Amino acid sequence: MAALEIAGLRKEFGGVIALAGVDISIESDKIVGIIGPNGSGKTTLFNVVAGVHKPTAGRVTWQGKDITGKSAYRIARAGLVRTFQQAMSYPGLSVRENVRIACEHGRRREHGSKQKWSSPEEILDFVGLRGLEDALAGSMPFGNLRRLGVAVALGANPILLLLDEPAAGLNDSETSELSQLILQFPKLGIGICLIDHDMYLMGTLCERLVVLNFGTKIAEGPPDLVLNDPKVAEVYLGGEI
Amino acid sequence: MAASAENSSKEKIVAAVAIGLFLVIFPWLNPGYRYLSLAITTGITAIALYGLGLQFGQAGIMSVGHAAFIGVGAYTAAILSGNVGAGFWVALPFSILLSAFIAGLVGLPSLRVSGQHYIIITFCFCALLNIALTNGGAFTGGATGLDVGSIDRIFEINFDQLRNAYYLVILALFICVVVIYLIINSSYGRTLNAIRENEPLARAVGINANLHKIGVLMVSGALAGVAGILQAYYLHHISPALYGPFPSLYLALMVMLGGARLIYGPLVGAIIVNFLPEIMRLDPIDSRIAYGVGLLIVILLLPGGVSAGLFGAYRWLMSKRQQ
Repeated sequence: MAALEIAGLRKEFGGVIALAGVDISIESDKIVGIIGPNGSGKTTLFNVVAGVHKPTAGRVTWQGKDITGKSAYRIARAGLVRTFQQAMSYPGLSVRENVRIACEHGRRREHGSKQKWSSPEEILDFVGLRGLEDALAGSMPFGNLRRLGVAVALGANPILLLLDEPAAGLNDSETSELSQLILQFPKLGIGICLIDHDMYLMGTLCERLVVLNFGTKIAEGPPDLVLNDPKVAEVYLGGEI
Repeated sequence: MAASAENSSKEKIVAAVAIGLFLVIFPWLNPGYRYLSLAITTGITAIALYGLGLQFGQAGIMSVGHAAFIGVGAYTAAILSGNVGAGFWVALPFSILLSAFIAGLVGLPSLRVSGQHYIIITFCFCALLNIALTNGGAFTGGATGLDVGSIDRIFEINFDQLRNAYYLVILALFICVVVIYLIINSSYGRTLNAIRENEPLARAVGINANLHKIGVLMVSGALAGVAGILQAYYLHHISPALYGPFPSLYLALMVMLGGARLIYGPLVGAIIVNFLPEIMRLDPIDSRIAYGVGLLIVILLLPGGVSAGLFGAYRWLMSKRQQ
């Protein structure tokens, strides 16, 4: 059974229907991608799943438990952690403190389980921010801020990580470094669900793609099938005149 | 690197011991009645300021109605003493708990609004409490307020003697500084910083931001309660005017002048605002102008407050000397 089950999820903002009943299941040992044009409801999906917004209707089940409408912090503590589209950090605190705060909260490590990381420094080492521990987060260039965002999320000890456009604003070499990093997560027992507009990145990283358009799922499957689906091409390139 | 860290912690201890020693021997430096009583007022104010400094400096929640919570502490003590004859030591926990509780209640809107919107709410609460106290009839003593007796003697110490009152306030201040220092340097302090710096991110890594916001406001309220009961028993008389919006603005001024984030900030702020007009012999109108100008200068030039400015200047001097 999939770790995260989204069933009939609907979200309306006033008269705008951001999600019109979406069903997706996501495993916690795979990399699953969510694509779709701007305004198709991808970020809203993350926000509703992570507890930032309450859904209008539908159910979100995490590891067999109903988490629909639960507070963001409870969902994070249950091991379902998200990152933000705008590279977010605690700008006035050091890089080390940024990660340390996440380590002190987040999912409690089960008794006797093997710890992935014993310290914030180890996480920073893993994401490639070694030597910058004492830098102020707010003073870092954008690429490093993206890495820090991932490090903070890792600090919260996730089972499934929701990455919202992790490659947005990165150049090609930074993007390929990031994708190398993301590819390692399933080996560490962390599932990934990511949103991005970079089709090449999504095609190489993801085992499965979900396509959203106007709040509805229009396609789902392996990347080569989905990206060659005429419905998907129509959404991105426009239909025949 | 390690040596400098060791140095700085050594410097911190030296500074703490020096300040502590000065505060302990102050009454023996022949300060006279005026300066000693001013020192007591300053100490009482500083206790409340440490609460305000914690909520503003660490959690980023400013208040311009903080005198209201001092008032809750003071009036709790006065009403308990007048109606059931409870003395200082009996009333102390009630003052602390009630101030904390009310501060938590007033903090509830902070879960929905933040920044200047919440500041306005604190201001309104302060003004409202003032109206309630003024119109409370015999229960609150109306505009004239209530009389308060003396602190019960323990070990035959008479706290009506200025020097003994001073030491009691300094002891309370010391406990309060230690508590605040421990909070700032604990994981709880980091949690508050996370909420101040980026609340959505804090929630996203599992921080129960609502709980901690109300929690820090209650800690702050508790300290205001301590300040309130000390003030009531020191002045022997309290009235609503002491806890109105204007005194609240002074508290906000002191915290910003001194610097909210550093451990000596609130103390520095309280000392500057209470002692400077006296030393410079400014009349009340002139001193208000001086505060306004001083606050502008601090906001523009020393955003971290005077304490951070002094600390920075010291660091700069040290690095010059080493070169």
